[in-house]
Amino acid sequence: MNLNADLNLQATRRSTKDKPMNMKPNCGHRRSRLSALLVALALTAVPLAAQAQRKSPLADAPAIRKRFELRATRLEVGAGFGTTLNQDFYHTMFLNLKIGFHITDWLSLSAFGGFAVANIATTFQNDLVNSLYAADMGQPPNEPLRDAAKASMQKISSILGAQLEFTPFTGKYSLAGKMFANYDFYVFGGPGLLNVAPTDGSSLTDCGSVMAAPPTASGGPGGPFSCKVSGAKFGANFGVGLHSYFNEWMALNVELRDIMAQLNPSGRDNNGDGVANANDLTWSHTFMVTANIVFYLPSTASISP
Amino acid sequence: MKRPAICFFVWVAIVGWAATGHAKKGGGKAAAPAAAADQPADSSAGGGDSGDQKAAPADDAKPAAGGKAGGAAAAPSESLEAEEGQPAKVEEDIGGGPKVVRPSSTLSWSDIVVVPRKRFLKGGRFEFQPFTGMSVNDSLIRHYVFGADLNFYLTDVFWIGVQGQYFLKQLTNQEELVGLEYNRAPTLNKYLYGGSLNFGYVPLYGKFALFNRSIMHWEMWASAGVGVTITKVIPRDPANDSLAFQNTDLTPNVGIGSRFFLFDWLTVNFALRDYIVPDKFEPINDGAAAGITTADQAKANAHSALVNNLMFYVGAGIYLPTKFQYKTPR
Repeated sequence: MNLNADLNLQATRRSTKDKPMNMKPNCGHRRSRLSALLVALALTAVPLAAQAQRKSPLADAPAIRKRFELRATRLEVGAGFGTTLNQDFYHTMFLNLKIGFHITDWLSLSAFGGFAVANIATTFQNDLVNSLYAADMGQPPNEPLRDAAKASMQKISSILGAQLEFTPFTGKYSLAGKMFANYDFYVFGGPGLLNVAPTDGSSLTDCGSVMAAPPTASGGPGGPFSCKVSGAKFGANFGVGLHSYFNEWMALNVELRDIMAQLNPSGRDNNGDGVANANDLTWSHTFMVTANIVFYLPSTASISP
Repeated sequence: MKRPAICFFVWVAIVGWAATGHAKKGGGKAAAPAAAADQPADSSAGGGDSGDQKAAPADDAKPAAGGKAGGAAAAPSESLEAEEGQPAKVEEDIGGGPKVVRPSSTLSWSDIVVVPRKRFLKGGRFEFQPFTGMSVNDSLIRHYVFGADLNFYLTDVFWIGVQGQYFLKQLTNQEELVGLEYNRAPTLNKYLYGGSLNFGYVPLYGKFALFNRSIMHWEMWASAGVGVTITKVIPRDPANDSLAFQNTDLTPNVGIGSRFFLFDWLTVNFALRDYIVPDKFEPINDGAAAGITTADQAKANAHSALVNNLMFYVGAGIYLPTKFQYKTPR
């Protein structure tokens, strides 16, 4: 137990001072340092290992608790206005009606109808019609007069459709940091139809029953170069939409919709075969945007766990 | 023996300090849900703000109601690192007695963070945004665009920036049909280049949950600016190509768009901008018939029209510096 000598501070100091520079460390000191190091490592490693094995308590948790399920098992009814975006000859303004049932908070089934209240001539239509002759000036047979060109241009009278809506995104926004509102984004798809009619079909033959006229004296196609495109054109309806909620039972519903159907907006021969008929119908996109005020029933929403 | 003792003491001090810090951070997280669950749901906007608190760790949280039964409570603490879902911090008694959760004595209802701080700060940072896009409102000619924005954020909601873009044209099917159906050739110009100085403001900030599993932050902005657009006539008759002239048009623009925040330095951006171009087009009368022999003469006889060129963009915003620091505690 000569190590007890270390308890004598004077002796320890002196002995340390007197030690040569190249002295070797005491074996006892080496062992105690090693022990201290091992204890330190053990104390550090054990909690770290335990922490590494611990599963985050948030791992399986929902992102939002106590969330208002503003759609789940609720009926949605609404009305509003809409307009087409990309028609060549007319902008069609609609009065909309919509009804739907939300099966879950993210899946719903809806039906809608858009009924034309105005067909406004586009700038393109005006420019085009004004570039045509008002009377026969000996122009080529496929070049219409103003009235004839306008008569066969297609108007939309109504749009009907059903759609399955899928709502993956729900959230909140703030306007200038003051007003807060809930909203959701959804995509939808389903069948749809367009009811169309020519601007003035009184002098036109239905495209489905057009008989080609004999060739002209010069051997060119005899037409007719325009026909009546009318009736229901079935197709696909798809797009995106959003709800911005004013409260639990009322929201602004905006939809951007594309209805694909076989149309011929000009009602004229566009495949170059020299006659306008059903063969000139092509799959066309009709984009429209609608804004509805919708109401939810029941008027209160459930709250998630 | 002395040196190991000092080392051991220092090590114990370091470990103790680190453990205390960890306990503080963890304690705040565990206690927050108890406070959140105790709040009444917001009935005004549905899905109230209390509903946006992050989920409670079932094994860590102690229900607030259960904690109201007397007993001593630990001193409250407040952290500047408050996160979303932690409206107020409370600490629990870890003694043998009944668990007690007591809110901080210095906090009041006005200190509850209803809207946590933003996920992303832009003030004082640059945004470099390469983008691509296309025109959406012209049924006869479509323009694809490639370009970049360089914006500087004066504050988190105001920015000033410059934009440069290069256009590629494509004639549509409708342009061909006009000739087939009406025996007419449309008068069209193509865009070559554009540049503008823009200002922007962010009035709307939001977040959404994807299937209630993850939350993404986004914002919507409005912008206006002025610049120039270089356009060039597309002759109706290809033989008149020598009569095609260029225009340099002063072009105001307005737009709206949105940013989706992915990282501290990266956003995905969408925009819709209307460029109002007072453009000059090929004369209505055929060049040869009107005695026009040069491009300058054609330009002198050109007819003007105001064109709304509506462009849709998608881009990636890269922010410099790549990191930001919050300047306020919440």
